[in-house]
Amino acid sequence: MPETDPETNTETAGESGGRRRIVKRIGGRDIVFDKDGFIQNPSLWTEEVAQVLAREAGIQALNEKQWRVVRFIRRFYVEQGKAPMNHKIKVGTGLSLMEIEGLFPGGIARGARRLAGMPMAKGCAAGS
Amino acid sequence: MKSVNLTVNGARRQFVVDEDRVLLDLLREDLRLTGAKQSCDRKGQCGACTVIVNGKTVRSCLTRVVKIDNAEVLTVEGLGTPENPHLVQEAFVLAGAIQCGYCTPGMIMATKALLDKNPNPSRDEIRHALRNNLCRCTGYTRIFEAVELAARFLRNEARPADMMPDENAGQIGVSHVRPWSILKACGLAAFSADVVTHGALEIAVVRSPYHRATLGGIDSSAAEKMPGVAGVMTAADIKGSNNMGFDNDQPLLCTDNLPVLGAAVAIVAADTQKQALAAAAAVKVDYEELPAVRNAMEAMADGAPAVHPGKPNVCHTAGQIKGDAKAALETSAVVVEGDFYSPLIHQASLEPEATLAYMDGSGEDAQLVVIGRSIWIHQHAQMIQDTVGWDNVRYQEAFTGGQFGIKCDLTSEGYAAAAALHFQRPVRYIPSLTESMWLTPKRHPFRMKTRMGADADGKITGLEMEMIVENGAYTSIGPGIIERALGMLSSGYNVPNVRVDAKLVYTNDAWGGAARGAGPPQANFALESCMNMLADKLKMDAFEFRRINALQKGQTTSNGQEADDWPFNGCLDKLKPEYARARDEAEGFKSDTVKRGVGLAGSSFGIGEPGDTSHVAVELDPDGGVSIYGSIADPGEGNDALLTQLCAHLMNIPRDKVRIFTRDTELVPDSGLSAGSRQTYMSGHALVKAVEALKQAMEETGAKTHDALVAAGKPTRYMGINTMSHTGMDQKTGQGMLWESYCHGAQLAEVEVDTTTGEVKVRKMTAVVDPGTIINPLAVTCQIEGGMDMGAGMALREEYVHGKTNDWHTYKYPTAKTAFDMKTILLETPRPNGPLGATGIGEFTLVPTHPAIVNAIEDAIGVRIYDMPATPDKILAALKSKDA
Repeated sequence: MPETDPETNTETAGESGGRRRIVKRIGGRDIVFDKDGFIQNPSLWTEEVAQVLAREAGIQALNEKQWRVVRFIRRFYVEQGKAPMNHKIKVGTGLSLMEIEGLFPGGIARGARRLAGMPMAKGCAAGS
Repeated sequence: MKSVNLTVNGARRQFVVDEDRVLLDLLREDLRLTGAKQSCDRKGQCGACTVIVNGKTVRSCLTRVVKIDNAEVLTVEGLGTPENPHLVQEAFVLAGAIQCGYCTPGMIMATKALLDKNPNPSRDEIRHALRNNLCRCTGYTRIFEAVELAARFLRNEARPADMMPDENAGQIGVSHVRPWSILKACGLAAFSADVVTHGALEIAVVRSPYHRATLGGIDSSAAEKMPGVAGVMTAADIKGSNNMGFDNDQPLLCTDNLPVLGAAVAIVAADTQKQALAAAAAVKVDYEELPAVRNAMEAMADGAPAVHPGKPNVCHTAGQIKGDAKAALETSAVVVEGDFYSPLIHQASLEPEATLAYMDGSGEDAQLVVIGRSIWIHQHAQMIQDTVGWDNVRYQEAFTGGQFGIKCDLTSEGYAAAAALHFQRPVRYIPSLTESMWLTPKRHPFRMKTRMGADADGKITGLEMEMIVENGAYTSIGPGIIERALGMLSSGYNVPNVRVDAKLVYTNDAWGGAARGAGPPQANFALESCMNMLADKLKMDAFEFRRINALQKGQTTSNGQEADDWPFNGCLDKLKPEYARARDEAEGFKSDTVKRGVGLAGSSFGIGEPGDTSHVAVELDPDGGVSIYGSIADPGEGNDALLTQLCAHLMNIPRDKVRIFTRDTELVPDSGLSAGSRQTYMSGHALVKAVEALKQAMEETGAKTHDALVAAGKPTRYMGINTMSHTGMDQKTGQGMLWESYCHGAQLAEVEVDTTTGEVKVRKMTAVVDPGTIINPLAVTCQIEGGMDMGAGMALREEYVHGKTNDWHTYKYPTAKTAFDMKTILLETPRPNGPLGATGIGEFTLVPTHPAIVNAIEDAIGVRIYDMPATPDKILAALKSKDA
C-alpha cells in the first residue's frame, strides 16, 4: 500500500506509523480497510471501490474478464451472504481457475475477492 | 473369537467377538448406539462411555464383551427418547446440566444407576457417584442439581411439567428449554465420530517424535505392503498450499523443518484404524534430532536456533503507550512489581478431533465434503480449499463436543480432506486423545514483568509491562492474542499511564491459539494481582481500592477507548455485601493450619472488533413459521436458545415455529465463528436486522402470510448484516477503539488453604455479571459457572506440558470432587447495538476467576503466587520462603 494517495486521501499510518487499518475516502465516503487491504464493511463496496483497489494493485483499468469475476463474486455475496468457493466462480464466470488466478495480483484469494469487497474473516483473530 | 449373548436395551442378541473387544466398540460400531462416547483413549478416565450392565455402571471402554455373557445392558438410547424421555433425561434438560452434551449420556447413565439404588442421595453421595465422569462445560454444579431434580421426579415430589417456564412469560428473560438439549440427553446428537459411514478408509498420521528435527526422507515401502493399506501420502501428494494455519508457517505435511513434537510427515490410509496405525508405525522416517528452544527465554537468547529457518524467533511486536508511565511510576507514592507467568493450558474439550471426508460426485465438478467439529465452517471450507488444492469444498458441522477456542483452528479436517482427495475414497480420521492434543492449539503462555503504582490516596498512577507471549511452533492467531490482551489490559479500571512492550516468540513447543478469553485472561492475572499488592502496600481494603479506581464515564481504557455507562461499577457495588460476608466468615479461620482467604478480581471484556461481520438470513415459511439461516455453531453455549427465543419474540410466533439451520456451508450465510463471545452480539443483531427487513416487507404489502407475501411479489427471505467498521488500535501505541461492546463483572473467591499440604480448596465463587439484556438466564448462568470452574483449573491445577501431558489424568482435568459452590448475580444494563440490548458472555466469565483465587490464597496465608498454577508444591515452597 502507498503511504499516501491524494486521490483517495488514503490514511495509511497513525502518528506512530503502526496503524493496522486503513481509511480511504472513496466516492465521498470514508471506507475502512484492514491491514491486508480487505474492506471492513462490505455493504460500503461500490464499483468505484473496486477500481481504486485495482489501481493500487497495478491494474489501471479492469478489463471485461476482470469485471466479470468481480461482479460474479459480488452478486453471489449479496444473494448468499458468503464468499463463493472457487468452483462457483469458475462455473459462474465461464473462466478457468488458472485464468482467473492470473487476472488479479494476489490471485483469487487476495486479489479478486479483495476487489469484490469480500471481508477478510474476523472475530477473535483481529491481529492475525 | 467367542460367542456372547447380550440383552441390549431389551433386545437379546448373539455376538461373535474377539476376546479383546470392548463393550464400547460393540455398541458404537456393531449396534450403532453412539450415545456412549469415547474421549480418553479407552483408559477409563472420562466416563463418557458409561452404560449400565446388570444394574451397575460400567465404563464400557474397559469392559470386555466376553466377560459379560448373558448380561443386560442399558444405554442412554434405551432409557428414553425425545418423544418419551426418562425422568433423569428430563431433569438434565430442565436443570441446565447440558451444554456441549458430549459427557451427558455417561452422566445420565451414572445418575440412573445411582438413583436406582439410592433415591435420595446427599450431595456428597452424588459427587462420589459421578467421580468417574468428566465434564468441561458446566462446572458440575448444574449436574449435581440435575441429579437432585431427577431424584425428586422419581420420588414423585415434582413433575417435569411443573418445572417448565411459563409459556405466557414471553421469550426474553425466560429460561426456556434449549431446543437441542433433549437430543443430547437421549444420545441422539451426532458428533463427528458418530456419523454412520460404510467403507470409509481410516487414516493414521506419522508424526515427528522430536521437539525439533529435520526430515531426511520417508520410506513407506514396507507400510504400503501391509494388510488393508490403501496407500501412504506425503507432502508431495498435496496439490494445494499444504498450509493449514492462519499464517504461512504451518504445513499440513512437513517437508524438511519439523519445529514441534507431533509435526506430521505422512498419512497412512487403510481399511481399519488398527491397520492404519500398524502401517504408520512401519513407515521409516529419517529424522535428524536438533536442539530445541522450549521457552521464550531460550528462543530469544543469542545464537538460539531459528524455529523456522530464515525467520526471527521474535515474530511479532506490539505496544501500548498511554500518557507517560515511566514518569508516573517515578512519582508514585507506592509501586509494586512482579514477574507473572501464565502457562500453556489445554482447552480440554472432551471430544477428540474427529473428521469424515468424502468426494461427492466425480471429475472436476466433484465436491469434497467434510463433516467435522468446526465452529467456523465457511472459513474452514475456504482454508481446506486452499490447503488441499480442491476448488469445491462443502463443510457440514456435526455436533461439537466442547469448544473454548480449540475449534477455531483447522485440525483433523485438513488430514481427512487431503486423504479423501488423494485416495478418492471416503476417509475417516479419529485421532487418539494424545494425538488430538498434538494437533491442536493451546492457551498461550504469557510472561509479564509488571510494575504498577498508586498515589497516596490510592489512585492508580501507571502500569508498565514487558509482555512476552510464547507462540509455540506456529502462529495461528498469535498477533491477535496480543492485540486482545492490550485492548483489555486495564480491565474495568482507570489506569491513566500505560507502557507495554509485547513480543510474540516462536518456540519448539505446542502452539498457542484461541482459548476462552484469548489473551485477556493471562494479562488480567498480572493486573489483578498488582491491584491487591498495591492495596496491601497502601493498607487499603482490596474492595475499596478497586472501587475508587473503577473507570468513570469520560475516562479511558488503556487503549484510549472512552468509557460509556460502564456497568463495571454497578457490579462492584452489588458484590460488596457478599465480600463483607465472606471476609467475616474467613476471619474465624486464620489461626489453624487450614486457613481461609477471600479474593477479588474484575473484568471488562471487549466484544465486536473491527471488521467482524455476521450475515444471518430469515425466511418466512408457508406455515407461518420462520427459518433462520446462519453459520452460528452452538458448541454448548446456547445459541440454539438465543436464535429461537429472539426470533419468536421479534416475530411474535411460538418457538416451535422457529427452525434453525446452522451447520452446512451450502445452506447458510457466513455468520463468522462461534468464538470471541461474539455470536449473541454479532449474529443476534444480524438476526434482528433480518427480521426487521422481513417485517418491513410484510408491513409495506400488508401481507400477513407467506402466500400473501409471494402474491405481493416480495421475497420471503431476507438477509441481515452486522458489521463492525471502527478502525481499531494502532499496533505500536495500542491506542484506538477496538471494541463496540463490553461485558462487565466482578468475582469473589473464597478459598481454604491447608498449610501442611499446600492444598487449596475453592469453597465458593460468587460472580456479579452484567451482560446487558438477558435472553435466557439459565443459559447465561451456566456459561458463568462453567467459566469459573475453568478459571479455577487455571489457577490451581492446569498446565499442559507438550510430550508429557497425554491424557485427562496427566492434564489434571476438573472433576466432581474439585467442583465448588457457585453463586451468580445477574445485572442487566441494556447495551447499545446489542440485540434487544444483549451482549456476549462466553469468555468474560473466566477472566476474573483465577486472579481472584490467587488473591484469596494470598489473603489466607500471606504469600503470593506469581506463576500459575498454584500447585501444592508451589504453595509449600512459598510458605517455606516466607518463614525463612
